[in-house]
Amino acid sequence: MRPELKEYNYDWMMGKTLKAAAMVPGGTQKETDLALKYLPYYHGVADAFFNAGDPGIQLLKMLSQYYENILTAREKGKKIVATTFCQTPAIFYAMDVVPVTFEVLTALGGLVWKRGLFDYMDYCCEVGMSETSCSSQRGAMGAYLARLGEEIDFVVCDTPGVCDTNANAFSFAATYLDKPYYQLNYPSTLGDDRSEKYHLDDYKEMIKFLEKNTGKKMDYDRLAALIKIVDQQDELIGELEDMFMLVPVPMPPLFNLAMYAGRFAFCGHEAFTRLLSSMLEWARTQAKQGHSGLKSGKEKLRAYMCYIDHYTVDMNFWHYLDERGIATVGSILSRNFRDISTYAQFLEGSGYGVDVSSPEAMIDTIAQMNARLPMVRSIRGPYDKRNMWLEETLAIAKLCHAQCIIYNGTPGCRNTWGMVKPFSRDLENQGYPVHIMNDDAFDDRVESWDSTRERLDEFFQVRGLL
Amino acid sequence: MHFFYDAVTRIENHAITRWKQSGKKVVGYTCSYVPPEIFHAAGILPVRLRGIETDGMEIGDAYFGPFICSFPKCLLQQAGKGEFSFLDGVLIIPGCDAMRRLDECWRKAGEDHQGIVPTWFEYFDVPHKSEVHGMNWFVQEIRNLIERIERQFGVSVTGTALRESIREYNRGRRLLKTVETLRAEKNVRVSGTDVFSATIAGTVLPREEYTRQLEKWLEDLSGRDPLEGEKKRLMVIGSIADEIDLFQLIENGTDAVVVAENLCFGVRYEGNEIPVNGDPILSLARHYLETSVCPRMFGKYKQRLALLREKIERAGVEGVILQNIRFCDLHGSENGLFQRDLEAEGIPCLRLEREYGPLKETGRIKLRIDAFLEQIA
Repeated sequence: MRPELKEYNYDWMMGKTLKAAAMVPGGTQKETDLALKYLPYYHGVADAFFNAGDPGIQLLKMLSQYYENILTAREKGKKIVATTFCQTPAIFYAMDVVPVTFEVLTALGGLVWKRGLFDYMDYCCEVGMSETSCSSQRGAMGAYLARLGEEIDFVVCDTPGVCDTNANAFSFAATYLDKPYYQLNYPSTLGDDRSEKYHLDDYKEMIKFLEKNTGKKMDYDRLAALIKIVDQQDELIGELEDMFMLVPVPMPPLFNLAMYAGRFAFCGHEAFTRLLSSMLEWARTQAKQGHSGLKSGKEKLRAYMCYIDHYTVDMNFWHYLDERGIATVGSILSRNFRDISTYAQFLEGSGYGVDVSSPEAMIDTIAQMNARLPMVRSIRGPYDKRNMWLEETLAIAKLCHAQCIIYNGTPGCRNTWGMVKPFSRDLENQGYPVHIMNDDAFDDRVESWDSTRERLDEFFQVRGLL
Repeated sequence: MHFFYDAVTRIENHAITRWKQSGKKVVGYTCSYVPPEIFHAAGILPVRLRGIETDGMEIGDAYFGPFICSFPKCLLQQAGKGEFSFLDGVLIIPGCDAMRRLDECWRKAGEDHQGIVPTWFEYFDVPHKSEVHGMNWFVQEIRNLIERIERQFGVSVTGTALRESIREYNRGRRLLKTVETLRAEKNVRVSGTDVFSATIAGTVLPREEYTRQLEKWLEDLSGRDPLEGEKKRLMVIGSIADEIDLFQLIENGTDAVVVAENLCFGVRYEGNEIPVNGDPILSLARHYLETSVCPRMFGKYKQRLALLREKIERAGVEGVILQNIRFCDLHGSENGLFQRDLEAEGIPCLRLEREYGPLKETGRIKLRIDAFLEQIA
């Protein structure tokens, strides 16, 4: 790592950047314009957030608060857990533990930092990680391995069995930092009694782990309250996701990012409820008027991102979609599979219910909720089995009138690269043009944004989509 | 030694051919977490699947994406070419992400290449933890596997038969332990290549025949003179490796001898016999799941490091080659931690990233090994 980077605390840098950004829209237009002059590198991000009206401002405030919580955890006597995006943080919040979600922080840093998080990614390799491991963890994780972030107290991940590469990164971090580690492990099946029981047992053990490492007992009243808030938030997300079915989609591409970033990082928090409510109000107004959420107001194409988005510097990907008139109908990242959601009803047996009547019921609820978050649901078993990735993709693409499907991931994703070719052939056989992006969603050095854009343009042109 | 060498340098060796000719069944499996005793008890020959003899990758690459380890790709390539046509069944294990995706890729390749997917094509869901509920899951998984074998092949796997199979496999384990003791001697009398061949042979030969041959070979070894010249004593660890030529590359024409390894095809369970008393399924489950040596069992680095230290001390290891197949992040990253901790204890380490299969990059690897050997005083 370059020595000058080691002079700065990464959490502090990001926290202060976001705090300042969140304050900008509160000023006059002249003040905002002046402030933008001091943002040479992430002008595009700032523009996207500021131009999204109140939802953009709420998103900035939420992200700023997220970092503030990390930065003040120590002085408030709270423990910090390093965790993954496909794990609901509600259970940590119930124990007053502050989560540091590597993937969310990597995406955020990648969007706003001039050189992305390349230095931090490389630092992970400097200290031993393989260079082929997933960049989504390596980004922010590098800062923590270099002790340039707040000190992690313990590590919890829930990806063994669904994404061993992800689990391996967390296991590496725990070993390298010599911190306690707990892994929730997933069998390949979902929804059967045996795997449900396994989840329940696994979560009980995790709670024991958390109690041991925090010195606190689980506060079930607080957990119940949090689950109820999360459920309300999921309902709001469900309403927003239903808007993806409208033609044109009334929301800008940024909204989907806001939905899942908030859920991964801040579910159960008021700031996230405010963001969702603001987005919903904005989207409803647009929908009533039959307006597209795109800047041009004209929707030319509807694409479903069957895996993740592309988090390059300055939100290039979102700007590209907006400029080309492409509305995304979401990705797997925002889908939660609460049994009342529209798509869950299309995939029989895929959903979960909420029950806070007893500690056992709450643990089961959290376990079932987590078992249906991105990755741990869609790509845990063979992609072509019941309720797995293929069925889910086809159901959502059909419901949302997608005209094409785009796969984007990272070269570190063994899980999806292990079968994306036959998966895409199956989708093509169902009539959907599919584009497999060969870039790294978090690392522009793998394929430059210019090349990625050219390849996307080529796909849309050759397949007669645009 | 020729017997073992012949057995491990071909996918379908003579013993497998003879077994098939006698009308008996063969099942292939993909990971060391499968208890082969179960198939043995059913009168079926369990064969650990290997990707050797690959001469192209057009089938492997057609289904797997580009960022995938070459081991499952080689397996798929050979399956697509019909090289596993002797199999009556296949058991896929989620050893890692790439290996579990062999399930879909093989099945999908079967849509384009007729007859490459055996009728019995099953999945064996090995958990990543051995704590209580993980063990319970694994025990149930073994019971389910037995039921599926019985149903498909019309056999009965009784407790008595399982105990007999465990006894037979234990005989081999005792013999391998003796081999390990021999190679730990100061004046080592057997090459790592020979030991590795003998070990891999245990995964592809009928067990009784293997045990007999191992006994004969041990008799021969005990009267053998030490290897000529002073040797630098190495250990090889890391990703899956079953290529004899990798060991030959390390030992031939150098002053190195591999005196220990920690590989899933190598001697990892030596001396660790399975109890024959009590519930044989529980005994098998404990042996295969609790003896955690693969980084797929996350969070157990310290146990694995302790195992390496013990081997290094016992065999007088002077240097460790930490190899990983490209895109094998589990071993690749753990090798980084091993390097940090072993070098801190004064043990030289060489991290070596490579491709699985025919050694096409011999020059580069040889150069690095030679340089490493020079480093070892």
